[in-house]
Amino acid sequence: MVRTRFEWSILILIVALLSVAWIIESRKPPIRSENALLTEAPLVGYLAPEFTAVTPSGVSHSLTDYVDRTGSDDQAQAVVLNFWASWCGPCRIEMPYFERVSRAYAGRAVVLGVNQAESAAVIEQFQAVTGVTYPLLVDEQWVVNNLYGAINLPTTVFIDARGVVRELFVGAMSQAVLEEKLNRILEEK
Amino acid sequence: MWPTLNLGPLVVPTGALTIVLGAWLCLHLVERSARTLDQEVEKLANLAFTGLAAGIIGARLTFVLLYWPAFRASLISILWPLNTGYNMWGGLLFGALAALFYGRYHQLRPAPTLDALAPALVAGLMVVSLADFVGGPGFGTTTTLPWGVSQFAIRRHPVQIYELLVGGLALLTWLRLRRRRAFAGQLFLATTAVYGFGRLFVDAFRADAWVSAGGWHVLQLLALLATLTCLLLLAQRTLRADR
Repeated sequence: MVRTRFEWSILILIVALLSVAWIIESRKPPIRSENALLTEAPLVGYLAPEFTAVTPSGVSHSLTDYVDRTGSDDQAQAVVLNFWASWCGPCRIEMPYFERVSRAYAGRAVVLGVNQAESAAVIEQFQAVTGVTYPLLVDEQWVVNNLYGAINLPTTVFIDARGVVRELFVGAMSQAVLEEKLNRILEEK
Repeated sequence: MWPTLNLGPLVVPTGALTIVLGAWLCLHLVERSARTLDQEVEKLANLAFTGLAAGIIGARLTFVLLYWPAFRASLISILWPLNTGYNMWGGLLFGALAALFYGRYHQLRPAPTLDALAPALVAGLMVVSLADFVGGPGFGTTTTLPWGVSQFAIRRHPVQIYELLVGGLALLTWLRLRRRRAFAGQLFLATTAVYGFGRLFVDAFRADAWVSAGGWHVLQLLALLATLTCLLLLAQRTLRADR
């Protein structure tokens, strides 16, 4: 047990020295450089799996159309990947929020709605009724859904401009939450 | 790791579930430690509950204020969904202030109160680490050590497990000292010093650590400040008590 003034001084000095040495040792540049070494995985901190999918009208969208894994392209954008289906109530509730955000953040972030297992005709009809303008992608064979492990709907994946998964969110969210998560990614760009 | 738990048609986010169960555990711990230290159990339990409730409401209100333009467009979203949309700093501020006011109103002495609250505070931090681990948002730096957790062929430090071990060590310190404390506040100071020093060490293994512009781990700096403050106060009061 530490009792005397001398013993306390030694203890505090040792703790301070060890701590400062460890803090200096573990100082590092921000984690972005490490991300470049990561593999593709639908997990926070990993590179978002690359995919290509088409809209009902046949327009093709790939993840790398928007993100730049090298970090050298100033035009690269963050991507909000929203997995949805027309029969999913919570998905329909949050779609107006995605719509507003896709307009407000145009040029900085893009929203892509990946459908789960429905046909192009169903998606086209849904888009006509709801007036959603951001790309709704067909994934009848579950290719992109499986790539991101999207089982429960809605699932939303936030990907930064370097193509790194920053957050996976299962369930509906409000517009404010959506904006907060996007702002966080864009501030660290 | 296991971000969701599927119970029939229900999808339960494991991180949120861990936090809810953890909050209940922490309230229970406050009662237990108050009883162990012969303090007013009901008042301390109420203080903890007041702090927790005010913290949750404060975290939500702060978030709503920060994103008011988005909430104004849809006022119902202030109340629903509640599964997300909280500001941690607002929660901490509101929770601490509410606990402080409650304590002053009921004339609870700060040092013995903090002694009784220390295990629950540490357990609360351990719950956050556990929620991070099961929910999967946090991840460690890469490693070749045999106890590394393999994620998509990359072995990583199980940093949340390290944090749990640090928390366990701090709780052990509290348990060892509780019967022979020399002065009020000693348990809180010793527990915080151990936890702070431990977190300072393990934060280096967080790949998603809060890093400042110069590459410094902000949490390490805060932990150093807390550890040294607690040690200095411990030294001062132990020496005074020995006189």
